[in-house]
Amino acid sequence: MVPEPVIRLSESSGHQLLGSMALDVLDFDVLKAFETVKSDDGQDIVIELIDLYLDSTPRRIEEIRNATADEASCVIKRLAHTLKGSSSTLGLRGVANACQQLEDLNSTSDPIANTLLEILESRFAEAQKALISERRRRTG
Amino acid sequence: MNQFKITFKQPASNRVLIADDDPVITHLLTTMLKQERCEPVVANDGREAYRILQSDSRFRAAILDLSMPFLGGLDLIHYMRSERRLMRIPIMMITAEENIKLIADSLSAGATAFLPKPFTPEQLESAVRLLIASSPTRKGH
Repeated sequence: MVPEPVIRLSESSGHQLLGSMALDVLDFDVLKAFETVKSDDGQDIVIELIDLYLDSTPRRIEEIRNATADEASCVIKRLAHTLKGSSSTLGLRGVANACQQLEDLNSTSDPIANTLLEILESRFAEAQKALISERRRRTG
Repeated sequence: MNQFKITFKQPASNRVLIADDDPVITHLLTTMLKQERCEPVVANDGREAYRILQSDSRFRAAILDLSMPFLGGLDLIHYMRSERRLMRIPIMMITAEENIKLIADSLSAGATAFLPKPFTPEQLESAVRLLIASSPTRKGH
């Protein structure tokens, strides 16, 4: 069984991550800051953002995988750039960093392209676990 | 008998065009704009935004992502600044782009403001308020 990301409540911010590795996956303070944005239907906007991210990102990664197979460098850069934007905004540093590396690629024929894609998939898997755990905590 | 001519100010439109292909960012912008009593109109890529702008100019402001499929934010700025009916609409660019030249290009092409990603809710709120405040009042004829 895959262990849940290590998270515990803190006195100051409500969250504290144990170890720098967890912080590299998700910076909870960044995500929590969006609680100040009030949704007009009264829903928890953080949950809405988590759902949208978890719904859209696998599709985006699939598109990057297809573009890597087609050696479509411009498409990879644009898709990685877009995913970097939402990931960094939500505090998902690991995914954002992996996207930056893909964006910096000079050529998709470079064998490192597939390695970077694997890293992105792995970072997203970590982010997914952390977000699902946070969603579960919020919905009680 | 004196003739009176009464003119009314046309109420300023509260509609704001959002063009971004990222649903997370679009949802954030939409929610923030509603919070500011604005009516968001969403385009999911540059081409959709272009189609909307071809027949609709009743926008108080526009928020455009720099990097979108089919048509980028920079192309949209060029289009909006070349059309008389759109040229006064304030435009805010948002992007995770770190290329200073691209940022400078969008400002010199006519962008009013620039919001880099990642942004905090406070930065987004301030930027949206500034953008809306910079919108010229629309006067009736």
